[in-house]
Amino acid sequence: MQISYKPGNSFLYSLNPLIKGGLCFVLIMFFSLNGLQLPAMAGSLVALLLFAALGRLPLADLLLSIRRIWFLLVIVGLVQGFRGNGFEVVPALESMARILGVFIAAGCYLTVSPQSELMFFWETIFRPLRLLGLPARELALVMVIAVRFLPVMLSEIDRIRMAQIARGARLGKGGFFSSAAALMPLMIPTLAQAIIRGEELAEAMEARGYRVSGNRTRYHRFGIGFFDIPAGLAALAVAAIAVWSRMP
Amino acid sequence: MNAQLELKNLTVSYGGKAVAENLNGSFGFGRLNLLVGRAGSGKSSLLLAIAGFHTEFSGQILYDGAVFQSAGNFSLTFQDPESLFFNSSVGDEVEYSLRMRELPESEITPRAQQWLQRWGLDPENFYQRHPFELSGGEKRRVALAACTVAMPPIILLDEPLAGLDANGQKALAEMLNQLAYEHIVIVVTHEPEVFLQSDSSVLFLREGQGSWFSGNEFLRQAVHDRDFYPLPRWYCHAMAPFAAAPSLPPVNAEAVASFIAREKKHADQL
Amino acid sequence: MIVLDKVSFRYNEKSETSFKLKEVSFSCPKGAITGVIGGNGSGKSTVARLIAGMIEPQTGIVTVDGFAPFNHTGRCGFLAGIIFQTPDNQIVGTTVAEDLAFGLENLGVSYDEMQVRVRETASRFGLGDMLATPVHYLSGGQKQLLCIASVMIMQPSWMIFDEPTSHLDPWARDSFWHTVKTFAREHDIGVMVVSQLAEDLQHFEQILAFNGGSLVFNGPIAKLRANVEQLPWFRIPDAWKLEKILEARP
Repeated sequence: MQISYKPGNSFLYSLNPLIKGGLCFVLIMFFSLNGLQLPAMAGSLVALLLFAALGRLPLADLLLSIRRIWFLLVIVGLVQGFRGNGFEVVPALESMARILGVFIAAGCYLTVSPQSELMFFWETIFRPLRLLGLPARELALVMVIAVRFLPVMLSEIDRIRMAQIARGARLGKGGFFSSAAALMPLMIPTLAQAIIRGEELAEAMEARGYRVSGNRTRYHRFGIGFFDIPAGLAALAVAAIAVWSRMP
Repeated sequence: MNAQLELKNLTVSYGGKAVAENLNGSFGFGRLNLLVGRAGSGKSSLLLAIAGFHTEFSGQILYDGAVFQSAGNFSLTFQDPESLFFNSSVGDEVEYSLRMRELPESEITPRAQQWLQRWGLDPENFYQRHPFELSGGEKRRVALAACTVAMPPIILLDEPLAGLDANGQKALAEMLNQLAYEHIVIVVTHEPEVFLQSDSSVLFLREGQGSWFSGNEFLRQAVHDRDFYPLPRWYCHAMAPFAAAPSLPPVNAEAVASFIAREKKHADQL
Repeated sequence: MIVLDKVSFRYNEKSETSFKLKEVSFSCPKGAITGVIGGNGSGKSTVARLIAGMIEPQTGIVTVDGFAPFNHTGRCGFLAGIIFQTPDNQIVGTTVAEDLAFGLENLGVSYDEMQVRVRETASRFGLGDMLATPVHYLSGGQKQLLCIASVMIMQPSWMIFDEPTSHLDPWARDSFWHTVKTFAREHDIGVMVVSQLAEDLQHFEQILAFNGGSLVFNGPIAKLRANVEQLPWFRIPDAWKLEKILEARP
């Protein structure tokens, strides 16, 4: 039910981290920006799920994890559905399909990518930023720590939520209208915990010789494999469809 | 007060696997109810099942003969309860629970202050302070006070002593013992020795089974067999010659010393 | 040998009250398990961080085997590794192998050597067939082993444990001490354990005790025990109290 790395063995796992990350990026862009109609959108969602099934990903887990964002889905559906003259179902469903697509694409990516690959991808992507004087490695590190803590933080939020409800907090009961104030008992402790954990992790990394500016070697070597070329072409095709669908 | 929290054929599962099977027994007033076992033995799942957050169980949880309605009738804290703070003063923190239960405004502050006093914190001194200024032991007491201020019948505490130094642990254990006269207090702990009195009730979860012990039986088993439960070595060592005695003393030096003196005297008389 | 010579440290240099350590001096040879004890805010954790090279003393000198740990980010051997209380907050990798490799990557160890050392260390710690296992699948005990292994793989000359037992169940505490003692015996490695649990005292041979940022006791545990009445900051453990009472009786 958690979105985090799960070991496995399929062509998706064996992709070069750059192709893997690029493909995920293109898919996310595709689902957020394309100009397709609802049937085509639903079709691409199904295609994405088929693709994931082909890569032997635990689909049941992925679909179950959608529970975690149902709230967001409903809100987006409501906001998008209300038009000048009442509620329309089609735009509501369309926008929900977009969110679902982004969520599933990202979920698949995180399931097949261990930390070293994420780090490699982000460092490579951010490398050009170094020319502008931006701290590329630090940025990569921030992204990786965020992903590393995702499962830990989710269970932490669960614990805090239960304990605050036991204190009488009404979280989520106010429905969509619950004000920000009602969420404070959840937000502040979660944030505080995240900061404490982040600090402790940073300390532990330093203690193991991590210096941001240091010259590191790598445990993994990433080459170009058999599936990387078709995957790269697929990414290009998806990008092309997105652009084409937006053409006037 | 005679009401009990009763477990009837309760089997708690986690992810489709039974972690504690067929529990039968009850938690009562007047003494602490300790819940012990290794990490991963299902202690937390049982606690959450009682609280109504964990629904993967079969069998029944009864309170005073009827199915326990958890909503509003329990308080629950996890390890490091001070991580729940979100207000800028101790007073607001303690009052929060009362406010959410919509008590009349005039009753809230007096009740919160009185409750804080109960936990050994003088409201005069503490009410306006920021929770993060306090020492570790004070923070812990504020957190427990804030979680229990609505005075529900059932109080569930997961590792309330963890991270405190020895003095803080002793003082807090004493307060929890007092609390047990008015509430059913269930404590998950890795340090049962700090709480154990001969009349405490211990539910020991291991290998999927739960066994109930009186404090005395638990101590005796542990002295007899370190694999059963690793109590502090000095206690097992000191008690080894007295394993057959009808009642063993609590785990602290003074009690053990006077116990040994009594036993010696008794042996001399024979 | 760890040497601190008139070391002071404070977090905020401007304020006089923020002293964490005041002119602390001691030397600590390898070969015995050293316990660092003291209450909250006594300065014991600051000492651990100074030795591990995570912070730099404002005045005075810290050396480990003759090198200053803060400036020694070392390719020629790692000085002192530190292991913190919560495994979840110090495991960096998403898999066991990645976490083991993290320290070696930082030291700049070559690809081939890294493969060998990761495999070898993993099997030594009983994690050999879990190299590809995601860390969140591990049990609490396995996570702690991984933390120790991930530091040991860097071949430090000292291991510092910062309150390692305070959140463990009693079985895990027993097995933690078993592991640590086995290591101390089998490797040429110094072990220092920061702890405030009375139960841990029985495992220490040497004691460094701190109170309010000062070193208040330095010596073998037997000496601490003999002088325990003159040390008002020290809470006498039940085990000693009992023996004292029993000795006093005829």
